[in-house]
Amino acid sequence: MKKISILVAIFTVLGLMTTSCTKKEMTKGKTLSLAVSSQVKGMDPIYANDRYSSNEVARVYEGLLQYHYLKRPYTLVPNLAESMPKVSDDGLTYTFKIKKGVVFQDDAAFPEGKGRELTAEDFVYSIKRLADPKLQGLGWWLLDNKIVGLNEWRKKYAELDKVDYSEEVEGLKSLDRYTLQFKLAKPFPQFLYALAMPFTFAVAKEVVDKYGKEFLNHPVGTGPFRIKDGVFKQTKKIVYEKSPSFREKKYPCEASEKFKNDGLLEDCGKTLPLVDRLVVNIIEEDQPRWLNFQKGKVEYVSVPKDNFDTVIPDAKNLSPEYKDKGIVLMVSPSLDVTYTAFNNDLDLFKKNTKLRQAMSLAYDIDKANKLFYNNQAIPAQSVVPPGIAGHIENYTNPYRGNGSAEQLEKAKKLLAEAGYPEGKGLPEITYDCPSNTVSRQIGEYFKKQMAKIGISIKVIQNPWPELQKKITTRNVMTYGIAWGADYPDAENFLQLLYGPNRAPGANGSGYDNPELNRLFKVASVMQDSPERTALYEKMNRIAAEEVPWIYGVHRQNFTLRHSWLKNYISSDFEAGIGQYLNIDKKKKKEMLKKL
Amino acid sequence: MASNQQTSKSLWGHAWDSLVSDKLTVVCMSIVFFYALVALLSATGLIVSDWSKEVGPSYAPPSSEYLFGLDIFGRSVFAKTVKATEIAMSVGLVTGILTVIIGVTLGSISGYYGGKIDEFLVWFYTTVSSVPYIMLLISIAFIVGKGILAVYLSLGLTSWTGLFRLIRGEFIRHKDREYVQAATAIGGGDFRKIFKHILPNVFHIVIINFSLQFQFAIKSEVILSYLGLGVQGVPSWGTMINDAKLELARGNWWQLAAATAAMLVVVLAFNILGDALRDALDPKLKGK
Repeated sequence: MKKISILVAIFTVLGLMTTSCTKKEMTKGKTLSLAVSSQVKGMDPIYANDRYSSNEVARVYEGLLQYHYLKRPYTLVPNLAESMPKVSDDGLTYTFKIKKGVVFQDDAAFPEGKGRELTAEDFVYSIKRLADPKLQGLGWWLLDNKIVGLNEWRKKYAELDKVDYSEEVEGLKSLDRYTLQFKLAKPFPQFLYALAMPFTFAVAKEVVDKYGKEFLNHPVGTGPFRIKDGVFKQTKKIVYEKSPSFREKKYPCEASEKFKNDGLLEDCGKTLPLVDRLVVNIIEEDQPRWLNFQKGKVEYVSVPKDNFDTVIPDAKNLSPEYKDKGIVLMVSPSLDVTYTAFNNDLDLFKKNTKLRQAMSLAYDIDKANKLFYNNQAIPAQSVVPPGIAGHIENYTNPYRGNGSAEQLEKAKKLLAEAGYPEGKGLPEITYDCPSNTVSRQIGEYFKKQMAKIGISIKVIQNPWPELQKKITTRNVMTYGIAWGADYPDAENFLQLLYGPNRAPGANGSGYDNPELNRLFKVASVMQDSPERTALYEKMNRIAAEEVPWIYGVHRQNFTLRHSWLKNYISSDFEAGIGQYLNIDKKKKKEMLKKL
Repeated sequence: MASNQQTSKSLWGHAWDSLVSDKLTVVCMSIVFFYALVALLSATGLIVSDWSKEVGPSYAPPSSEYLFGLDIFGRSVFAKTVKATEIAMSVGLVTGILTVIIGVTLGSISGYYGGKIDEFLVWFYTTVSSVPYIMLLISIAFIVGKGILAVYLSLGLTSWTGLFRLIRGEFIRHKDREYVQAATAIGGGDFRKIFKHILPNVFHIVIINFSLQFQFAIKSEVILSYLGLGVQGVPSWGTMINDAKLELARGNWWQLAAATAAMLVVVLAFNILGDALRDALDPKLKGK
């Protein structure tokens, strides 16, 4: 009796201790606060075609593959896949083994509200969903004409009332509970990259069926975080909590040389995610975002262009004022290109390479770099950014303007040869841009540059969705925009100029050059090799000299982070990085006093 | 008899006297006149036709050389402010005129005839006044394209409702008065009664409303241009303030200061002038 009562007492005390501990954890656990600069469309993987939506999707959902967090050049590693796939000799059949014991997050859609195990069938379903003609997923271009039987399946059901997911597709099968097989219709070297993009992430059929259209706001994935209360309310603040059913996933213990010494491996072997809560604040304007960072309410931020001179006075080092607060500056080139595209559907531009070249020569990129990028971007010579194969080192585009008098002369000469001496005979050319302040200023700059050779430009501002619509419906003459890499392969940039890809595909300028098309077709089915790189470079050169766009710059990221944020490195592919970030709570408390 | 003629003054004569007797009103009138002159000179290209010229380094602060400082492209903020005056004044004028034409025509018809016509027009103006001008502007911009024409139309087509209400009310009050009955008795038609007899008696309302409408339109144009919905490619106080939003982080205050000061002065002048006009013209306020 006594023994029992002592045991009971001990258990009670233990019980009390653990409850009090968990309570403390609840209120005091680690919270990671991030700021993003654009509204999020929703949390359905098949509609996540912009950077902001796909980043949010990737906090909750996961795919077969992911990029190794600490390796550069970007390296694919298995995520939900057990290992990298077995590829048949002809390079067309990919067989994946899927991790066992991975479960979906708990949700009322499952029996008894308990998340069930992920199987190969879920991927078959999710990828068919991307191809579903009724849903019009925005990532279909990624797999269009790539998987055996999938295009036929899509076509068949486009005409029928109801889409039957149970009809088997030859190229997309689950061989058993944990084995998934893809058969490609033709070689597609970028296929594995596609499997690391949120478009192909795994969703559960039960959840889609239960919520129907509202599935967009009810994300239930296998990922490290789940949305608080289960519903995305389209608010300016998205709160995630650590998913209790997340599998054992560890922080990596390997890193590229350059990441080894920055304390990035301190969390090696720890269970992910490293924080308990993740708060995403949607702050569209630069200055409030910047002020929130200065108050320590946001862990990292990119430096707004107008604060650049005060924060980084010599363009290399952080000013002492910020250094004293423990703030760290991180500079990294980003895989992107900004440009002013011509609508090559119009005879005006299509048949007149000299006009395009003249306009490109008149555009002073060095000054634009000074005005808009604090002289820190790299003027683009062609479409492929440095850092990926296909970019040509030390190549200078002969039609790249830099404001010198002789180039201006050359521009005027070309304009005359094009049939418009001093701009006479040219109609007023419109330039469409997004409606924020900086985009408008870039438009005004373009107008001023063209005025130098007598071409008159009208700048038109559009809300972002309207601009995209205008481009797809070809309702533009010229427009300013940028492209960021979906995966680290020059193909992703060159496809922007591939004729058959014209809008509504990614080729918004409608550029169509038989020679470039032919080379692209050859290169797009080749595996990575010196021959393919040579082809990429050849295309890159054509793209430079034919001037389908006026090239802008390849930007650099200037990111500031607080001292207490651990493991942050900037990445071109941000999907899923939240799980690796960590907070040093003691340091945060200490440093907050200094801010 | 000649002396008698000199002492007798019309309503307008009295109003003018009362206006010029107040120093503040005179100052405000001169300001409005000055702005109008600047706008006219700028519109005819006699001044600041080269506002888009680069005159110095980017973001040069105000100095004896650069009066209000320079903007991001090294353009003179002073020239931009002056050029923007032209836009603001033209928006005020065109919107004011549109408002008067629509408001007076519909208001007098509605008040004079009454009945089904009145019911329909009242329904119509209630509907129009419930449409926010920004929404209308966006839809008009889809049809005519973004720019100053869309601004004229959207402001003009939405802001006549206030004047309509006033004119309609006055017409209802006046149409049964003796002088109108007298006009009927000697055989005056509807048209003559509306325009020759009643309208001159309610016209002071139009003038007061016009001056208040003018400054409302200027403010609205600034807001619209700030939002990127207004004029495109030419300076506006709104786009200047929008630029300044980012520049303030660099400590560049001059563009904001120039645009707001220019706007403040003209809007304030119009407001005071509007009040003075009401005091001078409204017979009900006479002798107070």
